[in-house]
Formats: sequence, structure tokens, C-alpha cells
Amino acid sequence: MENDKLMYIHPAPVRVWHWVNAVGFIILILTGIQIRFAEMIDLFSLEEAIQVHNYVGFVVIAAYGLWVSYYFGTMKIKLYFPNPRTFVPDAIKQLKYYGSGIFKGDPNPHTMTPDNKFNALQKKAYVGIMFVFLPAQMITGLFLWRVKGFENYIDLLGGVKIVSTIHVLLFFFFTAFIFVHFYLSTLGHTPLAHLKAMFTGYEEYHEPPPSEEAAP
Amino acid sequence: MKKKTCFMVGVFILFMSSCLILLPSQGHAIENDDCMECHSDDSLERSESEGMKENLFIDYNRFKFSVHNVNGITCVDCHADVEELNYDNDVPHPVSLAMVNCDGCHEEEGDAYLDSVHKKAGGKGITIPCYACHGYHFVSHLEADSVFERENAFCLRCHNPDNSHDWLPQKQTHFAFVECAVCHAPDSPRYIALRFYDLISKTFLSGDDLLKAMGTDYEGFMAKIDLDKDDIISLDELETLVLLLRQKDIRGTFHGELVVEMVPTVHHINRGEANRECEQCHNPESAFFSEVYICLNKDDGTREHHRVERRVLESYYVNHFYAIGGTRVRLLDKIGLALIVGGLSVVTGHLLVRIATAPARRRRKEKKDEFSI
Repeated sequence: MENDKLMYIHPAPVRVWHWVNAVGFIILILTGIQIRFAEMIDLFSLEEAIQVHNYVGFVVIAAYGLWVSYYFGTMKIKLYFPNPRTFVPDAIKQLKYYGSGIFKGDPNPHTMTPDNKFNALQKKAYVGIMFVFLPAQMITGLFLWRVKGFENYIDLLGGVKIVSTIHVLLFFFFTAFIFVHFYLSTLGHTPLAHLKAMFTGYEEYHEPPPSEEAAP
Repeated sequence: MKKKTCFMVGVFILFMSSCLILLPSQGHAIENDDCMECHSDDSLERSESEGMKENLFIDYNRFKFSVHNVNGITCVDCHADVEELNYDNDVPHPVSLAMVNCDGCHEEEGDAYLDSVHKKAGGKGITIPCYACHGYHFVSHLEADSVFERENAFCLRCHNPDNSHDWLPQKQTHFAFVECAVCHAPDSPRYIALRFYDLISKTFLSGDDLLKAMGTDYEGFMAKIDLDKDDIISLDELETLVLLLRQKDIRGTFHGELVVEMVPTVHHINRGEANRECEQCHNPESAFFSEVYICLNKDDGTREHHRVERRVLESYYVNHFYAIGGTRVRLLDKIGLALIVGGLSVVTGHLLVRIATAPARRRRKEKKDEFSI
């Protein structure tokens, strides 16, 4: 289309973090399943699964460090924080879009730009994931890596079973999240558009059509 | 008849007189007090080769609580070569006593030890007699000892497990919760010992303290807790126990450890026979977690233990013992399944609706394109 242009949405550090994190998550989920369900699954030996899980866990922690350094270093972290004044109507609009507008062919109420790349629901979800769930997963993972070494902290949390419970519930959450995340990534203007952009950094920008439905 | 009676009385008198004459010549039985006359002196020692000295002092206050003394075993029952004390000599018994033969009483333990790596070490010029591990005079019951106490008193005196378990993930955690013999004496029965840890006083409650708080005694414990009288404390019954303690302002949790039963086969330890297969423990069907007991530890080092339903290990009443996979909380798996199935259902449902509504969108787009032309 004539009015299409390329926008640099995903800078290199974010792409590196994203893909390291994605591959790391898949390995952590597979080895995690092996560790938890050793009697049912035989992908690796338990010993191998634990070793790989530990190494990859540290890679994911390092990647998170890159994410934090980049976003806080450039102060682009504000991308993640919803505007408290517009959050509720924006979120409702986005929910309506995913719940009905998308089926009718309405345009996405959120237009991606480098300064506003997440819609209201994404912001809400990613703030929770990046500032609560992922750190909680990393910290509990770290504690479970050396139960004896971190026993004082583990005791503060109520015991190793509590720490493990948090880790396992988040493990299930992230597994479910990956399916939903992957599906949502196919809802661009073509099924592979967002996926391609996560490799190249560039999203195709489409001018919103001046139709009645596009009006807020 | 009268003559016969006189004869019998004569024989009796003769017998008694001979006893009186013979007894002093056999000496009196040697009592512990006789030994302690000398061995209570804390400076008593003897010179060994190369200027070394061996202390011969026996702390009787400790000895009297030893398992042997409590069971009426005297000094000379073990030091059987001390047959008499001759106080005319500087040392009233042979200066060099024979090695105590523990196998004489502990026959099964001796048999199990015969074919063990520790006994075989003897061929390499090292002798590891029983007392190298068990000590000499102050042997006590080990049953109530924690993993930490059992390991410190025995294995860790010679071995540094850090040097030989690099293959083992979480080795410090294993050392803290699993007694060495659980893996290294695979013939021995093992069980999960649950002890009540008081979170307020930050101590393990002894059996006496726990029973006192419950207002019962060792005999009444099961009657009070095991309401269905099946001799197994179920998860619900354990919950009742915890609630009962909370009513008495005692808040705590159960700590678990994997220990071996004190049976003779724990002495049968051999190189290369240790269990190294992680899956043996880390699966919910593992035999390592089939026996679970609540332990009521007594001051004399013994413990009374009562069978507990295995499911207790998967509950949040035992928060400080967790074997990945082996004692996992099954409820979490159900929640996890619901999360994943829920996520997939949302995705699949949304996709199907999109596919179903695709023709309508196409028609709308075509109409719009027509309009824009």
C-alpha cells in the first residue's frame, strides 16, 4: 500500500532479549516438565534436565538484566506504564476489539508507534509479567537452585514447598502465556507481520483508514 | 531314722563350711565401682609409644547414661579379660587389655559389618573397630538423632562428602535432609521422620513436650489423634493435631528427614553400591517416601514413631521437606492443567470464531472497497 511505511519498533537489545528469553523459556518449560513429571516423561534424565534447567535459568536471568539495563538506561521503560487517566477506556476499547471488533473487521483501536508500542492490555500484562511474575520466577528459581545456601530466605517465605509452589504456578502460567502470546502475535495485518518485526525490528505502519469504525 | 537325720545335718554343715572356705579364694565379682576407684581420676593415663599418652579417665556421670549401663552391662562384661583385681600390683589387672568383642552381643551387626567397605579397609593396614564410630564408653541411642547429628557423629568424622558428590545436584540439600546410609546402605529400610518444629520457640518439640501440650501421654497419643483407629494418621487427622496444638498457642510445622531404621544392615556399606539414580527418589511412586512417621523423641535418645499417611508429604503441613517430583503437591498440577487448557481453549475458540467470521469480514471489505472506488 502506498501509505505504508516501516517503523523501527524493536531495537536490537530488545530483540536479543526477546529471542534469548523465548528460547530459554521453551527449554525451561521442557526441562521443567521433565523435572516435575519424571515418572511420566522421558525426554532427558532427571540429572540432565536439572543441569540444563539451571544453566538456562541463568541465561534467562542475564537476558532479563539486559532488558532492565536497556529500558532503564534509555528510560524507555515508560512504554510499559499505562496512562492512569486513559487506561480504563483504552482497555475496554481493546477488550471490545478482541472480543468482537476483530471478528467484524474493525481496525485495531491501538496504533503501534515506537513511543507507544503496546496497547493498554499489553501494558497491563507486561508490567505484571516483567516486574512481578518474571522476577518472582527468577528469585524462586535461584532459591531452588541452592536450597541449603538460601535456606534463611526460604524459611522467611515459609519453607521450600512454598517457594516451589510459587515457581510451579508461575511455570504453568508462563506455559499458558506462551500459547496466548504466540497466537496474539499472529493478529497483525498479516499472520507473520509481528513475528517478522521481532527479527528485523521494523513493523509496517498502516495509516488507519478514515472510516466511521476507526473513530473513537 | 534319727541316724539318717543326723547324717543329713552333718553333710549340710560340711557343705556350708566348705563354701565359707572356698568363696574368699574365688574373689568377689568385679563391680563398676571397683573400676571407678581408679578410672574416675581424670589424670589417669598411660604412656604409649613415641611419647603418646592415652587417657584412661571415665566420666562416670556420662557413662551411667550410656545405653550399656542403662541395660545393666558392667565394665567387665565388655572387658571380659579382667577376671580379677590384684591390688598388690601397680595396675590391678593386665596392663594391656584385649580388644572388646562387640560381636559377642551384637552378632547381626558384626555379620553385616564383615562384608562392608569399612571392614575391608583392614586389608590396607587400617583397622576400623566398632568404637571408631560408636565411641567407647558413652554409646547412646541414635534413633532420635537428626540427620545432622547422625552424620556428624559418624560419617563426617572421616569423610568429607563434598569431595565425592560432584555429580549430585543440590548436594548440600541432600546432605541436610538425607542420611548418608539411605543411599550407601541400600539394604536398610528407611523412612521419613517428621518432627514438629515450634515456630515461636524455634525448636523441635520433644515427644514429652508435644504430648504435654496435647494433654496426653505416649499411650494416649494415637487414641487422641487416630480417630478412625486404623493405626495410620491420615492427612485429616494430622490437621486435627495441628489445630489442637494451635488451640494451645503452639504454632509450627513438620520438618521431614529421610533416615534409615537402626537395623544391623546399616553396617553393610560398600563402595559402588550407593543409589545414584535420581528417579528412584524423585517420583511420586518412590519407595523412599512410602514409610512416613511422626516421631516423638525421648530424652534417652529413643523415639516412638507412628505411621502417617504418605499424602501428608504433599500437603502444606510439611513445608520444609520437598523432593522435586517425589512429594509434589498434586493440586498444583490440576491448577496448571486448567491454566494451560484454559489458555489453549481461549486461543482455539478465538481462532475458530475468526475463521467462521472470515467470509463476513471479506464481504464487508469488498463493500467498503466498492464504496471507496
